[in-house]
Amino acid sequence: MFLALREMKHAKLRYGLIGLIMVLIAWLVLFVSGLAAGLASDNAASIKHMNATHLVLQEESDHRLTRSALELSALDEVQQAVGEAESAALGVRMSTLTKEGETKKTDATFFAVDVNGMLAPKIIEGSMITDVTETEVVADASLKEEGFRLGDTIHDQATDLTYTIVGFTEGQSFSHSPVVFMNLKAWEQAQPKHGGADVGPLVQAIAMNTDNDTAAKVSAELEGVEVITKADAMQGIPGYKEEQGSLLMMIVFLFVIAAFVLAVFFYVITIQKMNQFGVLKAIGAKTTYLARNLIGQVLILSLVSLFISIALTYGVAYMLPASMPFDLSPMLTLGCSALFLVVALLGSLLSLYRVAKIDAIEAIGRAA
Amino acid sequence: MSTQLWLENITKEYGDGDTTVKVLKNVSLEVKAGEFVAVVGPSGAGKSTFLSIAGALLSPTRGKIVIGNQDISTLSDKELNAIRLQRIGFVFQSANLIPYLTVRDQLLLIAELAGNHNKEAEKRADELLLRLGLAHRADHYPESLSGGERQRVAIARAWMNNPEIILADEPTASLDSERGRDVVEMLADEVKLRQKAAVMVTHDKRMLDLVDRVVYIEDGMLSERPEQVPHPVH
Ligand SMILES: Nc1ncnc2c1ncn2[C@@H]1O[C@H](COP(=O)(O)OP(=O)(O)O)[C@@H](O)[C@H]1O
Ligand SMILES: [Mg+2]
Repeated sequence: MFLALREMKHAKLRYGLIGLIMVLIAWLVLFVSGLAAGLASDNAASIKHMNATHLVLQEESDHRLTRSALELSALDEVQQAVGEAESAALGVRMSTLTKEGETKKTDATFFAVDVNGMLAPKIIEGSMITDVTETEVVADASLKEEGFRLGDTIHDQATDLTYTIVGFTEGQSFSHSPVVFMNLKAWEQAQPKHGGADVGPLVQAIAMNTDNDTAAKVSAELEGVEVITKADAMQGIPGYKEEQGSLLMMIVFLFVIAAFVLAVFFYVITIQKMNQFGVLKAIGAKTTYLARNLIGQVLILSLVSLFISIALTYGVAYMLPASMPFDLSPMLTLGCSALFLVVALLGSLLSLYRVAKIDAIEAIGRAA
Repeated sequence: MSTQLWLENITKEYGDGDTTVKVLKNVSLEVKAGEFVAVVGPSGAGKSTFLSIAGALLSPTRGKIVIGNQDISTLSDKELNAIRLQRIGFVFQSANLIPYLTVRDQLLLIAELAGNHNKEAEKRADELLLRLGLAHRADHYPESLSGGERQRVAIARAWMNNPEIILADEPTASLDSERGRDVVEMLADEVKLRQKAAVMVTHDKRMLDLVDRVVYIEDGMLSERPEQVPHPVH
């Protein structure tokens, strides 16, 4: 590090500028990563944190909960396979709400669950709905920001039915809209009446808590269904894949840019210093010694840049409004930082190769 | 007096296979401790090539190099590296200092490379700087030094590892004759004082009175007198 530190100290401007670029790139990487994670949970929290591993959907529904329709009788068969406590029916319907007496509309998603089953939401305020009520619901707390309170009456635009909010839960969203829970009885009431025989209410999925083998068995045994994992179900939420995909692409590009910026910077500097490296080798510096100094510079530059950008990211995150979907966990920060270091080191390989190839004889002025 | 540097029947060819250029043809030279040898000859004659081989920077096509009493012709690149670091001091044509190191750090770098960067090394560096009249420049960067000062730093650097052999390739080329003479005098003094062996390539005939012996290289041959150089039959 004797050389690395002294060179950086002497060429402050040069290394400062490249450090600044690294700070900006790392900052953007962290910010976009936090945003991607934030949007993911804002979009799909209800599925992501659902107490289930697999979902049974109607076949050909393309992993989309909203496209699936299953007769409730399918639940009995699933329960036989995985156990009564480890499976539950789930109704999903996206809709628009208004508060009784007002005209302002709010998007929301209705979830129908067995209030005593494994999908029942956790109440943070008010009380749980019973399994017999047809007019009471539990809503996600984010609706409070839209002005909904305990005891308010909401109007479902799609069915023209009204419900009373008796409790609030938290962290429940689907396709960026807050989730409103009702029991299966209320769900049945809200279903369009079929002309023919009464087949009971249609639900969108049967959630299961089980292993992959049993899930495969259920898939094989039940007629007309497909079994998907929770991760598949998240991908199937409208807009989720597109949103995460484009953010991921940005992050990948940023890493590639970081690698190239560092690679080019150190390559150019190394080429400029060919003669100098020749002199160093002529006076007895080993290639490993020179390589250590080069790697040292890359590491110092990357670590300092990362440190600054992490501070900046958390600083800005602190100032963001609470409604901004931004979620940068320490694990994610650590992961991104580690990847950033790896990428930076990869970027310096080309220069290391050049340093290894330099011959001590470069130092001697030759007759042309 | 013991022989410090001994080059025996050195031949050097450049190029690959069919287009080889023979730059040195069966050249031999012996330098004893306390002896200062100058190498002169026309440009392109092979002087730098010869010096590079003597300094383990370049391996000869054929021939033997003995430093002290160690034959280095068969050593690996890595071992040659250690030989250069511990037993040979170089002074290059242009001082070839590291631009981002202060004068003092230029010397300490040698200790750093040898893995003995300690108080003793620092004392030695300060002594050398004092002796070469550079003490007041210790914390300056090469960019703020004059040509003569830079070359003196290069000499101090070459002495830093206390080498047995000092090799200088046209150390005065970038200096006016007065400064050049100072630099060569310093080399000569050190050779006498510490019983080193030194070889200096030079163009400058005015320096030749400061050395013990002059050898001539022309057309790849080496001789003690210019008129004795036999012209090869083409
Ligand atoms: N790496 C090399 N490859 C091919 N030819 C070389 C190389 N280095 C030097 N030469 C040639 O060898 C000859 C001697 O060069 P050099 O030893 O530098 O001469 P001097 O120092 O006496 O001026 C020159 O003709 C030069 O072109
Ligand atoms: Mg030369």
